[in-house]
Amino acid sequence: MATRRIAAQEKSLLNKDDHTVARPSASGQKSNTSPAVPLAVIVKLLAFTFAMIVLPIGSYFVSVDNLFKGNSTYAGALAAVMANAVLIGYIIVAMAEDQSDETDSSPPSADGSAAAAIKEGKKDR
Amino acid sequence: MAESELSPKFAPFIGMAGIASAMIFGSIGAAYGTAKSGIGIAGVATFRPDLIMKCLIPVIMSGIIAVYSLVISVLIAQDLAPPSTGKHYSLFTGFMHLACGLSVGLTGLAAGYCIGIVGDKGVRAYMLQSRIFVGMVLILIFGEVLGLYGLIVALILNTKSKG
Repeated sequence: MATRRIAAQEKSLLNKDDHTVARPSASGQKSNTSPAVPLAVIVKLLAFTFAMIVLPIGSYFVSVDNLFKGNSTYAGALAAVMANAVLIGYIIVAMAEDQSDETDSSPPSADGSAAAAIKEGKKDR
Repeated sequence: MAESELSPKFAPFIGMAGIASAMIFGSIGAAYGTAKSGIGIAGVATFRPDLIMKCLIPVIMSGIIAVYSLVISVLIAQDLAPPSTGKHYSLFTGFMHLACGLSVGLTGLAAGYCIGIVGDKGVRAYMLQSRIFVGMVLILIFGEVLGLYGLIVALILNTKSKG
């Protein structure tokens, strides 16, 4: 069932692509290149990138002398734990965002066929 | 550094090889995982841009593989000292650092390879069937745990140099 739905969606997307490709050359319409991703998502991704770079190795260097008194094994283990904590936090945020998408997109149901298809896909889950 | 039978001149070479192999092999694994799952994400995002956030999980996991290698490299590098300080760097320590580096590097390579393939196929399957998400994350975690085992072995090995 899922395969059938996706095939239909794929075709409609391809059709839409053909229209948008054909139109700008004819009517001189400007292509919209503004980012489709909301600012909150970009901030979230940047925060996780920063945390992934800084948090494990930073926690190692902070804790090796202050917390563990030179025992570098525990500090290394703490760095690995911090890396995994970032991963778990990312998974939780991704799941939460998915659920907020679901609640956001349910009121304006007359958005279009794409939104309906996405909602159908979420209902499938 | 006084040369002796237990700490010959070439012992630091072996330890440096451990640092290099940890970082090189781990980064090869992480790069493969990132690139292969990135191909899958690019394929999925053309059809379902709303799934990008959840599909990025394999990329994060590949980053963790590189962090493991980085931690072990820093750990080994702190045990090394230039000969002018008069410390002895024994051949035992050198081989042990090589074992640390190889264990975390090659398990990182294995884990990155696993994450890459599972991430690519997994996000493509997730586009078609959303129930596969939990299974995909579970498989990714089991793949990533391989690198964690290498890290644990390397950390335990590294404690033996203090004796």
